[in-house]
Amino acid sequence: MRPRLFYRWRTALLLILTAAARLAAQNPPLYTKWINYTPANGFPEGEVYSVAVEGHRVWAGTAHGLALIENGRVRKVFTTANGLAGDAVMSVAIDPRTGDVWAGTFGGLSRYSGGRFKNYTNLSSGLANDLVYGVAVQGRYVWVATAAGVNRFDTYTGAWSIWNETNAPFEEPWCYGIVATPKKIYVAAWGGGVLVYDLAGRYWKPYTDPDGSMEIVLYRNEGLIHNIVSGIAYNSAMRMFWASTYFGLSGFDGRNWHNYLTKDSGLASNFINGVQTRGNEVWACTQKGLSEFDYKTKVWVTYRPANWRALDAAKAVKDSPGEVIVTWPDGKKRKLTTATSLAHNYTLNLAFQGKDIWVATAQGLSHGTIQISAGGKN
Amino acid sequence: MKVSFKGVFLAIVLTIVGWSPASAKGRSAKHRMDPVPYANMPNWAVPFGRFRKPYYRWYVEPSTLGYDGAAREMPNGILSRLKTINIGVLAPLDKDNPDSVYGIPMLHGAELAVARANARGGYDGKPFALKVHDDLPLWGASSMAIDKMDYDQHVWAMLGSVNSASTHIELRAALKLEIPILDTATNDPTVTETRVPWLLHNFPDDRQQGYALADYIFNQLKLKHVVVLRATNRYGRKGDEVFLDVARRLSHQPVLEAKFNPGEQDFSTQLRMLREQGFDGLVIWGNAPETGRILKQMRALGMKQPVFASSRACYPQVIKIAGRAAEGLVTVCAMNPDRKDPQWLRFRRQYLERFHTQPDAYAAYAYDGMNILIGAIKEAGLNRGRIMDALRKYEMHGYQGVSGYAFFDYTLNNIAPVTLARVRNGKFIYWPEHRTDWRGSLPPFMQQAARLANR
Repeated sequence: MRPRLFYRWRTALLLILTAAARLAAQNPPLYTKWINYTPANGFPEGEVYSVAVEGHRVWAGTAHGLALIENGRVRKVFTTANGLAGDAVMSVAIDPRTGDVWAGTFGGLSRYSGGRFKNYTNLSSGLANDLVYGVAVQGRYVWVATAAGVNRFDTYTGAWSIWNETNAPFEEPWCYGIVATPKKIYVAAWGGGVLVYDLAGRYWKPYTDPDGSMEIVLYRNEGLIHNIVSGIAYNSAMRMFWASTYFGLSGFDGRNWHNYLTKDSGLASNFINGVQTRGNEVWACTQKGLSEFDYKTKVWVTYRPANWRALDAAKAVKDSPGEVIVTWPDGKKRKLTTATSLAHNYTLNLAFQGKDIWVATAQGLSHGTIQISAGGKN
Repeated sequence: MKVSFKGVFLAIVLTIVGWSPASAKGRSAKHRMDPVPYANMPNWAVPFGRFRKPYYRWYVEPSTLGYDGAAREMPNGILSRLKTINIGVLAPLDKDNPDSVYGIPMLHGAELAVARANARGGYDGKPFALKVHDDLPLWGASSMAIDKMDYDQHVWAMLGSVNSASTHIELRAALKLEIPILDTATNDPTVTETRVPWLLHNFPDDRQQGYALADYIFNQLKLKHVVVLRATNRYGRKGDEVFLDVARRLSHQPVLEAKFNPGEQDFSTQLRMLREQGFDGLVIWGNAPETGRILKQMRALGMKQPVFASSRACYPQVIKIAGRAAEGLVTVCAMNPDRKDPQWLRFRRQYLERFHTQPDAYAAYAYDGMNILIGAIKEAGLNRGRIMDALRKYEMHGYQGVSGYAFFDYTLNNIAPVTLARVRNGKFIYWPEHRTDWRGSLPPFMQQAARLANR
């Protein structure tokens, strides 16, 4: 092959590959197959507040206990009758070193280890409050977000530390979510914004809504969008933390804030119960469905039952059709329907299992797997 | 002018109260009113209003409390299996708790409403029963009451509390457990600024009180150099925040802010500091006993400036403690107890007969709140999601109760005009708030409500 022709072909090939990569990025893979866990297959009824994955095991915190799903089957539902601190389980975290399961409940903090529960309450330990919303494991420490501040429990010594409005810059001490990373602890506080604890420096840094007014967003990317923060996630690939609020989604990259409302994005609802992140993806668990945002391509995808506005209990337990709405950066939308869907549009939390996702909803736990891309047909 | 305003006010109120949630059934969304300024806010109090239009405004749309959860889809309670229709109450009741002066009347008001409802047959023949929990002074400690109400007592809704921190905690728990709340005693305006659809609040909050006081002090009396003396607790902090904000927006940033601890006896340090500063008006945000002592000590030091206070100072106790020093004190009041309307007089008589004491604002608002709640349960049935829906029908609608006229915005907060009072000859003399920005007419939200009623 003559060099000139080779260069022509090489340029053409590069162009095709670039276009294909761009197209693929713009057409994100979609979760179109859903398996739902509801009372119909032995799962507790009512809300699922939290979910955590440990290899092939999935732990779900529900309104009626802590459920364990193994290899796709509900193995056990632990309640107060089995020694759990409270039946309403708001959060679950697994210690990767020991396999211990920590559950934050509306009756205190529970540790499931060696087949037995050990409970920590306001009266029996240094726990700040028995309403435990968040729990995270960081090495030997367990970090706890309670209705009256943040706790750190040293699993080696049994010592408790507490931070609240008296010893840290908490505008309000009502903590919701907590995430532990090797260097920092991130806390979502209701009315108090986001608080970040620097483990090396041993200091707290608060991030609050800079306009200081509950009733407005003054500028789009002014800072944290609102002080009522419901969830928090840290993404090490992006080096960003993401905060869910009942007033939109906020991300902070260390210099700039990136805020999203339904009016300027593909976000399903401004009322967001929780947030998780993986790679370039940010997942917002809203009350009108589960919204995925690709931070790199700026493409949004929302998942929810197709009949979500008229959902009733009878339909929810069956595999009702789903709807997927893709919103591209230029605002164009595409709606697809799928044979199965999330158990409910009101989503509360999410966990990843490889490429799969597990979604906590108001009426069951949903397991989603990828089937097609947004450019394909269902 | 005053007489004509009252006449128009009453006429509009009577027109509006003809509406009831039941009659609103089936009213389509397009017939709802257009958004009105949030929280009855005067133009001069709009944050950054002089400089910029905000990127987004919350709380001004019908979708503010939109709920897409599954509570409505939960199976209804089976009446035949129930002995009573349980309603939770969280209130400070222990007499060692300083807030019990508000919590005990609140419980009594609720009890009276339940007794009345039960005398009329309860809920399809089953009596309503209150499941009462003491809101402990250590606010975190009462949080488990909500869990108990849900899992052990199976309440259909709850009423409470006084302390705004407790109320925030109960609100967060209620959001997860999906329990409707009637909040009849909290002053904290942020309680209804959370977009949580499970709470209706009927007590005049600090935002309404702050607007009323700021307008009266700066726009009507034309004072310029005001100082603030406030309690260090959450009640003082949140109330003061609102007043400082609106004063600043009126270009009258208070020249000094001093604090006192609840229960403090000697205010000489703070008062001397304020005197050194020089001022032409003092605003106190605290409870009646402290306000009484401040007044007494202030006048003893020869300080004659006018004094203004928040609604918790509008108690006879302030006059009892301060004596002649209370003369001229102007406070915001949660309600006017000198009203002569039959509804209030009947409630006052029944309350006196049952509890052998005069009802206060906390009793009246709890009575109204419990009646609203019972009405919602009767309308919706034994389903918490549908009870919440019934409460949400009060959005942008009024309610005439024994505490007076309430009007609920899109956050389900009562934004009706407050009452002001002045101590004269050892008695509180009441008058309705009449803000300068209303220009002798009605507040904008009431004008809109009247337009809706006339459609």
